Amino acid sequence: MRVKIFFFATVREYVGAKTVELEVPAQTTVAMLRELLVKKYPQMASTQKSIIAAVNSEYAADELLIPLDAEIAFFPPVSGG
Amino acid sequence: MDYPTITTITEMELDLDALIARVTLPSTGAAAIFSGIVRGMTERGNAHETSFLEYEAYQPMAEAKMRQVAKEIRSRWPSVEGIAIVQRIGRLYPQTPTVFIICTAAHRDTGVFDAARYGIDRLKEIVPIWKKEVSPEGEFWVEGEYIPKSGE
Repeated sequence: MRVKIFFFATVREYVGAKTVELEVPAQTTVAMLRELLVKKYPQMASTQKSIIAAVNSEYAADELLIPLDAEIAFFPPVSGG
Repeated sequence: MDYPTITTITEMELDLDALIARVTLPSTGAAAIFSGIVRGMTERGNAHETSFLEYEAYQPMAEAKMRQVAKEIRSRWPSVEGIAIVQRIGRLYPQTPTVFIICTAAHRDTGVFDAARYGIDRLKEIVPIWKKEVSPEGEFWVEGEYIPKSGE
């Protein structure tokens, strides 16, 4: 299945793009997607632990299975205000 | 009567008077307001100057999380009447307001100060907005410390 991924702040700079579309197998978890991305964008590895994942605008655990047509985002801890 | 809840992310200049008017009801007698401001000179910790801040947001999620913060405020302080949570993004220079959290209530002793404080603390934990600080020495992304739990 195809997933659309958004990146923000430092993660966007590591990846060099605001958004990418990837083909991933069904039954892909957030953790598997993280691994895939780190392979593709090794710079993400350095701060991998503090990179937060969101699926369909909700904070997502690594075990979460990515649903069909999901909108996914990876970003560092937030700093608004 | 339905209590007004305003949650906005905008690149426009913030208009405090207009915002207060939108969260003021006939029964309102108090508004607690927090505003964050771009600090040009930092003395605490690593003393430095700031030229400007560059804000970005994951807009749909940020607005959803702002609505969640408002909901959390209402469940903790049922006497709060109106709530406004407004974040300005883009390039913001020192002495510029960046965010307003407004909670209104009938009286000041209703927890309305704590409600506004909770609003800004929670925004800094779960609302996906980031700022890059640009100073004469260079630039760096400001990162929070909070890691939200799944579904939070």
